[in-house]
Amino acid sequence: MQDHLPPGIAMVKCENLEEWQMDIKVLDQNPLYQDQTYRLKFTFSNKYPIEPPEVQFIQCAESTGTPRSIPIHPHIYSNGIICLDLLGSSGWSPVQNVESICMSLQSMLTANTRDERPAGDQEFVATNRRRIRDINFVYEDDNV
Amino acid sequence: MNLEEFLAMEESREQDELIDLRGLDFVSEYDSHLMCPICHCPFVDPVHLQCDHVFCGSCLSSAITTFRSADSDDFPCPSCRVPAKEISTSVPRLLINMCDEIRVRCPLLTEGCQEIIPRGHVQSHVEKYCGYRLVPCPDDSCDKMMRSNDVGIKTKCMHAVRFCSRCEENVVEQDFEEHESKLCPVLEVSCAHCLTVVTRGELDAHVELCPEVAIPCSASKYACPVKIRRPDIKYHEQICPLVAMGPYFEGQNARLNSLELGMRHLQQRNEIFEDGLANIRSTLVESTRVNSNSHNNRSSGQSGRDQQPRTRSESTPDDSEDLATSIFSSTANSYLLSLHESLREQVGQLSHAITDLDARASMTIMNESLRLKEDMALTNAAMNSVRMQVQWLMNPRLHQAPRGTVRANNTEGTRTQLDSSASTAGPSTTSAQSLGFLRPRRSSDTGREGTKL
Repeated sequence: MQDHLPPGIAMVKCENLEEWQMDIKVLDQNPLYQDQTYRLKFTFSNKYPIEPPEVQFIQCAESTGTPRSIPIHPHIYSNGIICLDLLGSSGWSPVQNVESICMSLQSMLTANTRDERPAGDQEFVATNRRRIRDINFVYEDDNV
Repeated sequence: MNLEEFLAMEESREQDELIDLRGLDFVSEYDSHLMCPICHCPFVDPVHLQCDHVFCGSCLSSAITTFRSADSDDFPCPSCRVPAKEISTSVPRLLINMCDEIRVRCPLLTEGCQEIIPRGHVQSHVEKYCGYRLVPCPDDSCDKMMRSNDVGIKTKCMHAVRFCSRCEENVVEQDFEEHESKLCPVLEVSCAHCLTVVTRGELDAHVELCPEVAIPCSASKYACPVKIRRPDIKYHEQICPLVAMGPYFEGQNARLNSLELGMRHLQQRNEIFEDGLANIRSTLVESTRVNSNSHNNRSSGQSGRDQQPRTRSESTPDDSEDLATSIFSSTANSYLLSLHESLREQVGQLSHAITDLDARASMTIMNESLRLKEDMALTNAAMNSVRMQVQWLMNPRLHQAPRGTVRANNTEGTRTQLDSSASTAGPSTTSAQSLGFLRPRRSSDTGREGTKL
């Protein structure tokens, strides 16, 4: 989609128009995410870009050669699901694209100073069986 | 215009849009500013909002239907989220021209149209000028489509079936020309090898027989490199040594095949045997010590039992000594073989010894019985002579017996004794006559006769 990606963003897998994988890095000196690379999975519906894609962080095992973990953030659950209004149908705009989502997530990570998971993380991870688009997040925190 | 009018207008426009302008193959580069931020294609029927953001009309209408909160008359701009009420279709002419100038390939590329045209002309090109678009057949009775290129040249229906008078086949009008000039089997063609003119249908059969076609020698599978004209091949085959040797080669091949088969069979059997041998070896190697010890005991016991010559009983310990040394031989295989051999040898020795012993025993028995027989004959003879003497001695007494019964009664004990000895040699007439009153004794005599036999 883009020939020249911004720094810290790299395409990993984009063979079809259903699922893409991207690697993102936080470029500044935030100690929480320094020298770390995170893997994002985009799942597009056939209504994209009118509808937002499903975006979540995924883990990659050490054996794959590119170990990836889930970044620690008060709005990112330990199963990789991201609570961000941009990715919900209310905050989404069709002018957004994969590149702009990656950049938003980069800035979301770099602005964070709290080394914690969202409240009720364990319960959510254990009980959530819904698809990401069906989760009704309440975007109560505007600070991060 | 407001949102409602815009949506209604877009809906009516979508219906008469035939060509997907976003799916076109763009040939020339275009500026990213000409790209709709929603569909990422050059603007198609652009509209602009009050905030000066421009979108394709259809992109914006789908965004509005998705994101507008119910029945409100405004809508947040997808780019800047500023609420917009009015949508203007009067975009600067410059923008529209730039978008329409972008060069694209004709969408009928799959049909064969190679033309590259400005995007603005695509609609009219496909509708009017493209020679590859499909139009209805000029014949009203035919409901098929045909390329517009062909319509101008031929005014009749190209889908009618036409009869080829030469090959007596039905061919569709569209393909008739090609059939007539190239494919008809009655058409005459010349053979590429001998220049003979034959019909197309017979060409394949002709090539099979054509004298000019170079064919390989029949011994080519045995590496004869010759490949010459059909008539010459016969002469070649008469002199070709490989052809002459052909049957022999075939026989050899057959033999090789059967040998290979046999060898595979033998290999399989060998594997089975080796497996069995390995099993035996593994069980034997553990118990070799025990085995050899018990073997020693057995051989010594047997040598004592069967009265063998001294040499035999001495040789058995030697054997077991050989055995003990061979246990430590490096190859267990040869050890097993030697073990087997020594065992077999011992079995042979044993059977020899047994027959020997048998003969010996029967000889001694015979000797013994002969001796006994002689003794018995001697005893018999002596007994006979004794009896005769006794009879001779007894006769005068018996003659005296009728004279005095008292005397006879006194001698009864002696008489019975004598009678018994006489009866063994056969009852004498004299005793039977003289001892007529002693009949009950005869029963015991008959019993004696039975034992004598």
